[in-house]
Amino acid sequence: MNLKLKEISIALLVACSLTACVDDGEDGQQGIAGKDGIAGTDGANGVSAFVTRDDVLKTNANIAYAAYSDSLIAAQSLRSAITTFITVPTEINMQAAKKAWLDAREPYGQTEVYRFRVGPIDALKDDGTLGEEGDGPEGKINAWPLGEAIIDYVAVEVDGDSGPESPANSLTNNIIANTTDFPTINAMTIANAFEYGEDERNVTTGYHAIEFLLWGQDLNEDLSGAGDRDSSGGQRPVTDYANTVGACTSGAGNIVTDNICTRRGQYLAAVADLLIQDLEPIVKAWEPATGTHYTSFIAGGNESLAKVLEGMGRLSFGELAGERINIALTTDSQEDEHSCFSDNTHRDIFLNAKGVQNSYNAKYTRIDGEEISGASVYDLLVVGGHHELANTLRGSLEATMAAAAVIDTKAKTGTPFDVLIQEGIEQANVVAIIDALVQQTDEIEQAIDALGVTTSDLRQDTEEDI
Amino acid sequence: MKNKSYFSNFSPFVISCVVSMVLTACGDSSTGESPVPVIPAPPAPIVDHSGLTPLDGDTLAPEEYLAGGDATIFVSNEDAFSTRPQMIADDFQSDGFFTSGDHLFRTPDKDIGPLLSTGSCQGCHVNDGRGNVPASSTAPMLSMLLKLGNDSGLPDPIYGDQLQPFAVQSFTTSDFNSGISKHDGSVNGTELYGEAFPFIEYETITGSYPDGTSYELRNPVYKVKNLSFGPFMDNIRFSARVAPQAFGVGLLEAIPTENIQALVDENDSDNDGISGRASMAIDVFSGETKLGRFAYKAQNTSVLQQVAGAYGGDIGISTSLFPSETCTVQQIACQMIASLESKVDSEHDFADKNLALVEFYNRTLGVPVRRGYDENTQTWDEDIIAGRKLFFDIQCVDCHTPRHITGEAAGSVLGGLTLTGLEGKAEPIAMLSEQTVFPYTDLLLHDMGGSCAVTRETTTGDSCSAGAECMYVQRCEGLADGLIQGNASGTEWKTPALWGIGLVQTVNAKASFLHDGRARTIEEAILWHNGEAASRKEAFMALSKAQRQQLINFVKSL
Repeated sequence: MNLKLKEISIALLVACSLTACVDDGEDGQQGIAGKDGIAGTDGANGVSAFVTRDDVLKTNANIAYAAYSDSLIAAQSLRSAITTFITVPTEINMQAAKKAWLDAREPYGQTEVYRFRVGPIDALKDDGTLGEEGDGPEGKINAWPLGEAIIDYVAVEVDGDSGPESPANSLTNNIIANTTDFPTINAMTIANAFEYGEDERNVTTGYHAIEFLLWGQDLNEDLSGAGDRDSSGGQRPVTDYANTVGACTSGAGNIVTDNICTRRGQYLAAVADLLIQDLEPIVKAWEPATGTHYTSFIAGGNESLAKVLEGMGRLSFGELAGERINIALTTDSQEDEHSCFSDNTHRDIFLNAKGVQNSYNAKYTRIDGEEISGASVYDLLVVGGHHELANTLRGSLEATMAAAAVIDTKAKTGTPFDVLIQEGIEQANVVAIIDALVQQTDEIEQAIDALGVTTSDLRQDTEEDI
Repeated sequence: MKNKSYFSNFSPFVISCVVSMVLTACGDSSTGESPVPVIPAPPAPIVDHSGLTPLDGDTLAPEEYLAGGDATIFVSNEDAFSTRPQMIADDFQSDGFFTSGDHLFRTPDKDIGPLLSTGSCQGCHVNDGRGNVPASSTAPMLSMLLKLGNDSGLPDPIYGDQLQPFAVQSFTTSDFNSGISKHDGSVNGTELYGEAFPFIEYETITGSYPDGTSYELRNPVYKVKNLSFGPFMDNIRFSARVAPQAFGVGLLEAIPTENIQALVDENDSDNDGISGRASMAIDVFSGETKLGRFAYKAQNTSVLQQVAGAYGGDIGISTSLFPSETCTVQQIACQMIASLESKVDSEHDFADKNLALVEFYNRTLGVPVRRGYDENTQTWDEDIIAGRKLFFDIQCVDCHTPRHITGEAAGSVLGGLTLTGLEGKAEPIAMLSEQTVFPYTDLLLHDMGGSCAVTRETTTGDSCSAGAECMYVQRCEGLADGLIQGNASGTEWKTPALWGIGLVQTVNAKASFLHDGRARTIEEAILWHNGEAASRKEAFMALSKAQRQQLINFVKSL
């Protein structure tokens, strides 16, 4: 996305003729580099004086494509690791499948900033058009908390709740064990059971269903489900996928008929297939030049810019600081932990926050290491004369990432998020990231004002819009 | 302002004339005056209880389309009762509080129970909509409940004012049946089971319209068996309640009290057969007597009180408003389990900041947009226009007041919301303030007729007085529940709001209508009206089949 030199020099000429290439003395106007700042030689502080709103939109769309593409690529790798695992169910292959799931979460977590803005993830309908928030595949891909009892066996007692919202929406047994109502397990069977009984806890598909099938329930230290929380995730034994006669289990030592393990493997494969199927249209909608959403979004002017900022703000405050962190903290419940089976919640938090920073700085590092970058909201604020705000918000996002890094490091060094949220552990670390997210949300609001866009313009004409 | 608003531009004589014209024929011989209506000029002040120009049956204004004013949402599918209005989504803070409130609404807390009806709000408010009646007489009651009281309205000394059919282990372990009641199972004080097993058997009532079309209603008989803590007190009464849809309450709360009081007509001084009575109740937070607006008998004064009451009575979550657990002093086994919760004594299960989030969520849930209106041409379906006129003509509007305005919707009395706690004084909620809304209720109590009797019977119907086989059986005629609650009698009910009623079965396909879900359709619900509403029901029945359908189509468009 770097601008060509020739364009830069032309723009510089324009900029020089419109203002003056001298330090006007205002801190920030020229940057700390004085006459070598933005109005002087281009690029001294990384900002082109002629970055436009539409440039920002294009970069934002290109990053969306890259991040969703990475999610799809990683989901396919996950599918392939699952195939290997269910064919040869060894401990090593199970670990490889788990690793593939963790890897798949890395790009996806960074896409969530593209939620809450009537984009494809929230609003893409089966016919390829955009409807209302809620019409898209987001729930099928990433819904939580799970009432995992609909999928597979559960422990008698868990730290959380394994059932649906109402026992009236329970299945007889569970999909894997219920051979009468579910004689075959395939993508259609489990997709049809999604939100069975209009019960939002009956989540049968998506990342967290796969997570449950790989890790199992996190039964804590003493495996009672009620004991002290430990630093590990779920305890599903590899024998749950055994394919030798008489070796199949539903939980360590609990031998069940061989067909249960076969069906569990079928479920795992089918749910990974569904994940790929649900991600594909999102990638397609964001495909540069041809994607329906890509083309309308980059042509959407202020309305699209408002979407960028709305996604950043709503993810920062409501979803991340509110639901995913603060609720888990105030309820002190593993049930409210986003990735409770794998104990990977620290990454969810880090990656969501990272996505917001990506949108602001217009930078994203792909899973193959390639860096996508270009015109940013930061640039646009600077160009618009809001240097101070540009810098403050940049700093707040960094502060959030620093706080997220603490959660991340704690988890990687033996204190995962479910332990961290317990009273008397290290709640100050958790409160710190909430506070940082609240702060950045305030400044995102200021950026919305400064850029003269209004999020309330969104969706007024979504029907013909995209 | 005792006049019913819709006719306040006519003289009292003309009002009674119009009424009687609808029901029979106009012509009152005692006055000796000509029955031809004469519009007086200049007309009397033409304002309704809200100070607005009265609505009439002939004019359907475009703004009726936006039933919830700024809180209207444009969703008519299964998400119609659980969607955030645009004004909430557009503000990062409101959006966040809504999301957190939603999460708490649908996720069980750690300290539910010890005795309870369900584990989370959404356990009863299925998809934020209505609950279900059990599918059979052997299925447990999961999203409806029984209120308890004696013939004076006093609670049972052992069981309290509400039956909780489950003990906590039904919801905290994967063995749901482990918490279901057992005859005398908890009498010894060491093991906790649900209080009792209530169930419903239906009797069929048949009838026919004047045009010969027949109908069938199902009349519930309430039975209670397997009491875990010994027998009920004498003269026990049961009142069954299905969880209602949750949205719209923030707007109803913001209607100025004096506007509701203007609709009161306790002694029917306008002779329209309707005697709306305000339910005045103690506001638990302030201790003051205020207008009751929420729950089926309008015994709750605020959304906060309704929410906290449900947390306490239905889920077993203590709060600062209702600090007790669901155990009475005589329920030793319950108290034992309560002492093991992670938060005990002065520390409430649910902190005020969480309560305020759920309150905010309930208050700001969107009201679904009306169907049957074409936004582009700004026209209503003919059928809806005709049905609405009938709804006015047969005076359903005397209780189902179509329109209200809201005043300033104050923020939570608990304090200003932030993510990590409550700070200072809450700002008013702009989306709910100064709105013109169309809930179709007067929020008043009305005598709907009927009566109830409770007997002790065995499964074969023989009379009994004690023992494991001896059930409590409540049979009622009509809508009465026989339970005094607050200042509502055993035959009085608050007029429920009708907005969104046409989407009830879209949101939850198994849902049904009326306080105990006995009506499977809107038509059945109308046919159950009696008492003060008898003349209106008869007027409905006297309509032609096509007209009845128009009226029902109109109600479904709400």
